[in-house]
Amino acid sequence: MNLKELCVMAWRNMFRNKRRTFLTAFSVAFGVLLAVTFTASGDYSYTNLINTSANMGFGHLAIEPLGFNAYPTLAKRLAKGEARRQSVLGVDGVAAAYGRIVGQAIFATGSKSIGGQFVALDPAVESPEHNVFLEAIEQGSLFGPDDSRGVVIGVKMAEKLKLHIGKKLVYTVTDKDGEMVSGISQVIGIFRIGEDSVDSSVVLLPISRMRSILNYNQDEVSLVSIFIDDQRKADAMVSKIRAVAADGEAEVLTWKETQAELAGLIAIDRASNYLLQFLVGLLIAAGIFNTLLMSVLERRREFGMMMAVGMSPGRIVLLVITESFWLGLGGLIFGIIITTPWFIYMQEVGINFSSQIGDDYSAGGVLVDPVLKFRLFKESALAILAGVFSLTMLAGIYPAIKAGRVPPVESLKNF
Amino acid sequence: MSEKIVKLEKISKIYKQGRLEVKAVDDFSLAINKGEFAALCGPSGSGKTTILNMIGALDVPSEGVIYLEGRDLSGLSRTELSTLRRDRIGFVFQAYNLVPVLTAYENAEFVLALQGVPHRQRRERVMSILEEVGLADLADRRPDELSGGQQQRVAIARAIGPEPAIILADEPTANVDSVTAHGLLDLMEGLNKEKGITFLFSTHDQRVMDRARRLIHLRDGKLETDEVRS
Repeated sequence: MNLKELCVMAWRNMFRNKRRTFLTAFSVAFGVLLAVTFTASGDYSYTNLINTSANMGFGHLAIEPLGFNAYPTLAKRLAKGEARRQSVLGVDGVAAAYGRIVGQAIFATGSKSIGGQFVALDPAVESPEHNVFLEAIEQGSLFGPDDSRGVVIGVKMAEKLKLHIGKKLVYTVTDKDGEMVSGISQVIGIFRIGEDSVDSSVVLLPISRMRSILNYNQDEVSLVSIFIDDQRKADAMVSKIRAVAADGEAEVLTWKETQAELAGLIAIDRASNYLLQFLVGLLIAAGIFNTLLMSVLERRREFGMMMAVGMSPGRIVLLVITESFWLGLGGLIFGIIITTPWFIYMQEVGINFSSQIGDDYSAGGVLVDPVLKFRLFKESALAILAGVFSLTMLAGIYPAIKAGRVPPVESLKNF
Repeated sequence: MSEKIVKLEKISKIYKQGRLEVKAVDDFSLAINKGEFAALCGPSGSGKTTILNMIGALDVPSEGVIYLEGRDLSGLSRTELSTLRRDRIGFVFQAYNLVPVLTAYENAEFVLALQGVPHRQRRERVMSILEEVGLADLADRRPDELSGGQQQRVAIARAIGPEPAIILADEPTANVDSVTAHGLLDLMEGLNKEKGITFLFSTHDQRVMDRARRLIHLRDGKLETDEVRS
């Protein structure tokens, strides 16, 4: 009996108890739907969080002076910032790179002062696509390349310091030599991210002005923020970027290191997601196992006869394994059919949770999109299909072995 | 001198039921020659089926030796026994035991398929056998679309397909009416006479005993009488 004949026989066996086969295939299909729901919501929200976090200053990857990530001070700076930026832009997969100076400062008006963080950037090269603050400017605009006095602040800082467009703001920082230095600027833009801690503390300043205030050389920066086409490739990009733009004084870090809190939150969430999927998978596998075992036990006499007429136990095991294969394949196809409309709806429309979590819910300091949508990476889709299929096949192993061990005499009794 | 297909030498079979030991077959010897149409007869529990199981390499004796075509079965591995059953022994079961998802044709070719007989060769052989058993027109029907007698004919077709040394038939007429039983016996008798196929029945059906040319009577696992009829 060749494999084709065995497959035909196994296929027909699937229809001996149509209702049971349908219910089992449905449980496999439901497993696909659940796995897609868990994974696609994760793929979407994690990617969103990572990209938003990257756009808040540090990029998907960053070239930083050694030790800056652990102890960031303005004394630590990176030479040849522009040269490094240009080198990075030539690396395949890099979408953009920006030299920036970031640090702590005290911002003050005539009557009040507040601690915060500044991001000094070059308006000639920065793009709202990679800078969440530029995208969120709701009053005024970003300072131009020739405007060394302009400053853009968050809406909450404006409220706290009673500032508005045109008002003056004084900032005090520690320069590269440890001296307290101050600069005066004029508010020309106000942004609203939606996250209070960010809106009340972050200030955008012109990089040329900050270099002068901090006594930096013209090409010195705190870091080069790098944006890549696909955040999942961050780890793989490290060595490529290191090869072209890092030296003994600089290190290349991924967002997982520069945004360790967010990376930790995602890792925990992802692990609990996997655990949940595993438990659901176990439940579904138990159902499939039960179906296959029942089907084997009901056919003991038939297997006994097959062995009596010379079918080897191995062939019988293969027959039942092939039945699991058909069940898994059928379940997967059924699963794709029922999951596709749900996936398309969630990809295009999604579910808005703003009434439950509000519009300013954040995780790891990053604003979370209240609209839950789906996004499924190719490898995630393949992992789901392979996982569900493997589970079905695994669930069939014991029943198959059981079928191969049916004692012909006992199962036939009076043959 | 007739060629011995089966030879049983001082066979005993002891089953354990809890602490009790039950001797189903006791010091039984027998030889079946090629071309015989023989029946093991006796009341229930006399050991007919146990002997048939052991000749069919489905069960092993507790004592004694069984030879099939001169080969000692006790020295064979599980796989060798499986191959032996496939190639040299045909089985006809009381309850037909066809594969429900296969058609009459596919059931009849089942053992040939296990043997790996090429498709074309198989087709010619199975169609000719189905013709012989009178089921050529019903080749595409599944067992649940056939009567009991027709199913048993398919089982006979499956058994004779590989041209085995012997066909072991356990109560083959027990589940069919009288007319069908006679039809089945006509078929098997015809195959025996025309093709020289050896049949060994286990039965307490008088109709089978009337047709058998050798009656081996058992009682309490022992040979009672061995009667050869002309």
